[in-house]
Amino acid sequence: MAMRRGGRGGGFGRRRFLFRRRKYCKFCEAKTQWIDHKDMKTLQNYIPERAKILPRRISGNCAKHQRDLMRAIKRARSIALLPFTSD
Amino acid sequence: MPTYETLFITPPTLSDEDERSTVEGLAAIVTDGGGSFTVNERMGRRRLAYAIRKFDDGVYTRFLYDAGVDVPKELERRIRLSDNVLRSLTVRLEEDWAAASKIQAVKDAERRAEQEAEAARLAEEEAARAAEAAAAAPEPTEEATETAPAEAASEATTESAPEPAATETPDADAGEAAEAKKEGE
Repeated sequence: MAMRRGGRGGGFGRRRFLFRRRKYCKFCEAKTQWIDHKDMKTLQNYIPERAKILPRRISGNCAKHQRDLMRAIKRARSIALLPFTSD
Repeated sequence: MPTYETLFITPPTLSDEDERSTVEGLAAIVTDGGGSFTVNERMGRRRLAYAIRKFDDGVYTRFLYDAGVDVPKELERRIRLSDNVLRSLTVRLEEDWAAASKIQAVKDAERRAEQEAEAARLAEEEAARAAEAAAAAPEPTEEATETAPAEAASEATTESAPEPAATETPDADAGEAAEAKKEGE
């Protein structure tokens, strides 16, 4: 980590070290109105190795779409399209 | 009437006939209850994300239908009683989603029909070609002419292959010679 010490001068925190790409909601970008529980291609992107639902702080989804996504993933799990866990 | 989508999984070990009768029985609940189908599709066998009743695979079937509120209730009750359904999921689709699903369904049906037509056409062509070949087969001269160019081609490739190798070796020799000279100096 390139943590520079004694960095005063404004609360820009992490912005100084590395330029981070701003997160945005991909569903908003695509103007998605609903998330289909059968759409494995999309859902796969939001379940990392342990098959947990990727949190909003990482994916950058907006609240509405994260909620829709959560619902879709849970539905997909209930009919064995997605795993509850991966061992 | 609201639009519902029911997905259910039947065991892969079910015979075609049993599977058909199960699906038809469930479909009949919808039609008898005054519902109308948009899609009654066998999505095919696929791997389950986790084992259900020790089955690793399952056959997915999808119903998309408009029906009164009692229909999905009855459908789910029957599914629960049935031994031939591993799992099911019924979802009431919101209006715009339902509309989009229906449009997609029509498109899928069209595409499938097209593919089938294409497959039929190909099969026909294949059959025609086979018939032609069968008609032409009795003449032995044709076969001889067919094999000859292939042999010529293979000879050509074998001939051309050694050439680059031959050109490479002198270079290598020259390199070695140069090295030897250096060593000598």
